[in-house]
Amino acid sequence: MSGYGGWAGKVLRVDLSTGRIWTEDTIDRYKEFLGGTGIGYKVMWDEVPAGTKPYDPENRIIFGVGPLAGTGAPCNGRTAITTLWPTCWPIPLVASGHMGGQFAAKLKYAGYDAIVIQGKAARPVWLMIVDQKVEIHDARRIWGQGIRGATAAIAEIMGQDAVVAAIGQAGENLVPMSVVMNAVSHSAGGVGSVMGSKNLKAIGVRGTGSIRIAGKKGDWEKLIKYHLSLLGGNNQHVVPNSPQPWAEFYDPKSRWNASRGKRWGAAAHLVDTGTCAPRETNRIAYRSNTAAFFLGDNLWKHTVRGNGCTSCPIRCHTMLKVPAVAAKYGIPAVGQNTCVGLFFGSAFFKKLPDGPRGETSLEACMVGMHLADDLGVWCNYGQLQRDFIKLYYDGVIKKKLGSREFNSYSWNRYEQGDPAFLFELLPRIAGKEGELGTALGLGTGHMLERWGLSEEEWGKDKDLSYWKMGHPKHHASEEAGQCGLLINLMYNRDAQCHSHTNFLRNGLPLPLQKKLAAELWGAPEAVDGMGDYKPMHPAKARMAKWSLLRKELHDSLSLCNWMGPWVASPLRERGYRGDDSIESMLYKLATGDDKDREEMDKVGERIFLLHRALTIRGMGTKEMRDRHDRIPAWVFADKAGKPPFTKGTTRLDRDDVRVALDMLYDELGWDRATGAPTRETYRKFGLDGVAAALAKRNLVPP
Amino acid sequence: MKGQASMAGAGKEDRTRPGDAVVRPRDTMAEHVAALIRKRSAAGELITAAEIPDLWEVEYPSFPDADGSGEDIAGILTRLVHENEDLHKLSGAGSPCYYSDLHMTAAYAQIVLHKQEGPLRLIAETVRQNSREYQRPVALDIFTQPPFNLEYNQVRDYLSIMTAMAGYGDIATTSSSASRIYLYSTAHLEREHAVMLAEWLDVGQAHNP
Repeated sequence: MSGYGGWAGKVLRVDLSTGRIWTEDTIDRYKEFLGGTGIGYKVMWDEVPAGTKPYDPENRIIFGVGPLAGTGAPCNGRTAITTLWPTCWPIPLVASGHMGGQFAAKLKYAGYDAIVIQGKAARPVWLMIVDQKVEIHDARRIWGQGIRGATAAIAEIMGQDAVVAAIGQAGENLVPMSVVMNAVSHSAGGVGSVMGSKNLKAIGVRGTGSIRIAGKKGDWEKLIKYHLSLLGGNNQHVVPNSPQPWAEFYDPKSRWNASRGKRWGAAAHLVDTGTCAPRETNRIAYRSNTAAFFLGDNLWKHTVRGNGCTSCPIRCHTMLKVPAVAAKYGIPAVGQNTCVGLFFGSAFFKKLPDGPRGETSLEACMVGMHLADDLGVWCNYGQLQRDFIKLYYDGVIKKKLGSREFNSYSWNRYEQGDPAFLFELLPRIAGKEGELGTALGLGTGHMLERWGLSEEEWGKDKDLSYWKMGHPKHHASEEAGQCGLLINLMYNRDAQCHSHTNFLRNGLPLPLQKKLAAELWGAPEAVDGMGDYKPMHPAKARMAKWSLLRKELHDSLSLCNWMGPWVASPLRERGYRGDDSIESMLYKLATGDDKDREEMDKVGERIFLLHRALTIRGMGTKEMRDRHDRIPAWVFADKAGKPPFTKGTTRLDRDDVRVALDMLYDELGWDRATGAPTRETYRKFGLDGVAAALAKRNLVPP
Repeated sequence: MKGQASMAGAGKEDRTRPGDAVVRPRDTMAEHVAALIRKRSAAGELITAAEIPDLWEVEYPSFPDADGSGEDIAGILTRLVHENEDLHKLSGAGSPCYYSDLHMTAAYAQIVLHKQEGPLRLIAETVRQNSREYQRPVALDIFTQPPFNLEYNQVRDYLSIMTAMAGYGDIATTSSSASRIYLYSTAHLEREHAVMLAEWLDVGQAHNP
């Protein structure tokens, strides 16, 4: 290990087939890929040959964290889990899931920057990590239990200081739509069954070490305070959701939804969130109530507090207390989650008796959270629920199930919006029970194929939000025009990129956004008003590239791309500017590696490039433009027939999108015709070996 | 791409903060008036020239009468606004109002002013500002929240009144597919754009969390 700070210095390797446990030096092997997804892609490239299947013992599952994990940098709690993606359709390709919680920091304190798991245990096991002591333990006693039971059982052995990342019955049963979860509610979707395929129930980590910061203590503290001063609310929304005396701007859709008079009504002692003004950096944790944002102001009275990841002041996992559900459904009165995890249950219902924000909806949310977060079922960013509603109301489910199985469900109860229906459905998905449970657990692409339905048809329905390769859009053209579209084309699952949308939804008026955009991406044309899209512009391609690279950088540093980047801020005196260099400043001080923003962006680009190379190798073709970067038909349609680039539509134009792809490929140094990186581009980022390996298979453009 | 590598300003206030503005003894009537304005602003309220004598008696009973000092209140206010960076005059449909930006922004002061001018104007100007500056319709129910604090049915009644009154012809409504009513100004938002935005804000964003 060199003298770098930030990194723990070792990557833990575990072969479950042989029981062998060893370590590698992080700096020697992975420094140029930082950590997180960077290490994940590197391991996948070096060790997992094309043609490997997700559940093959030869597949790797890499829990990667970055040099900022476990430090005092804000929002550093992300663990990237990289593997071959079981729900990627029609063939599995590399992708990563991301969980917050406490796992990343604990892993660093135990002395590791990543865990690479390979092989398959002969029987169910769990991995115990206590600093240098790493042991494979028999998990037969906890196999079959839900995530909560398994976590509690391991915590009894390891103590309260341990963090446990576990799979539920879904992962054990090799249901592709499954998660791994730590710290009650922090899950990474899509990877649970890969752990299950290795007979790995859980990883428990207890670390007693610390992370060395290379820079001076005073400089580090000053930088942290500076970063905190730039933070907004959840998703870096930088204005409050209602007019406040201190605010110049407001946006009713801002997730900065606290203010004086808004109270955590289920806290042991009633807590008023206070004025929540920008300079009150010790009160950032009060700014956002995610449950109230998504489920309505009624949720304030059910709020116990905000919960969240290590060193993150945003606390986006709202802890809720709903006593009625304990008596009515026999589940805990307290639950917590964020975003789609909050409304996992209610999203299954087309109709609820008292509407989407009524008490029944809240009960469905609580039941859904309880079941999904224990069984370990993944929703694929809500696609599971959207698919289910369409399949039921189109009569497909009735057609595909035998009458016995169909009649075993209480469809009247479902149609009436009774949350108890979830007790019938979700365990059967986790248990692969029956045709319906099995099909829904496959993920959209494989489900459609199994039932002989057309994926192309799925892509015509904008309301379904389906994008491609078995996965939905994730802040695509419907809200971010060409920039969102380009970002969504690049990955093998939903894009999970928030760099662009956190800027576009920050709440500042459009002229101000354009002013900042001009500084960041060279021209105000980088951003458009919602539903007032303009033709493609080079600045949009630069914004898309920046968004992608910043995402990879965050995923490799363990910073949260759900909260960052921080290029806008709530600070009026800064003209609402944030700082585009915050990542490199944190990295440099933490590690001592003297890289500025441009150099860090190159690292991000190297990581992203390796992801593209893995995809090309996995697909066995360089024709990415035609075969990978596919666009669903709904992008080019408008229900009212409005033409592209008219106010009131998000419809895009096919010729314009062709130009958009050309511009992005140019920005990235990729070949326009194929969408594959050129040999020169690989060389520029030190990936000559990758280029050579691909060239042998004719996978590099001439 | 330009970054802002400087941490200048980190941890500092850009302006003097509320409560700290006037610490030296106030020995002139003008300073007392300035303090009154700031105090009202800190409470989220504006002040008019006509209100000052009454407030004066409550706040400064031992000081000479506001109207007996030989200085004209209007003249003092004009001078204060000129001499104090934080004090501002706001003109609306009624008498001019004054506020301190140590305690409220100009944008917030405008809302308070419109509130004083009555619910019709409050609703209309808020809708216009949202359509003009943010290019968005606003949900009717935002008017039930602070600082507007109107009843939902009241707002609906006011909207009915506005449809029959001159001066509000640009205020229009649309509903999302989830039946939430949105308001916009036709002077600043085209109908089809407003309809699409209302659907996006109420329904679309829920599918794009």
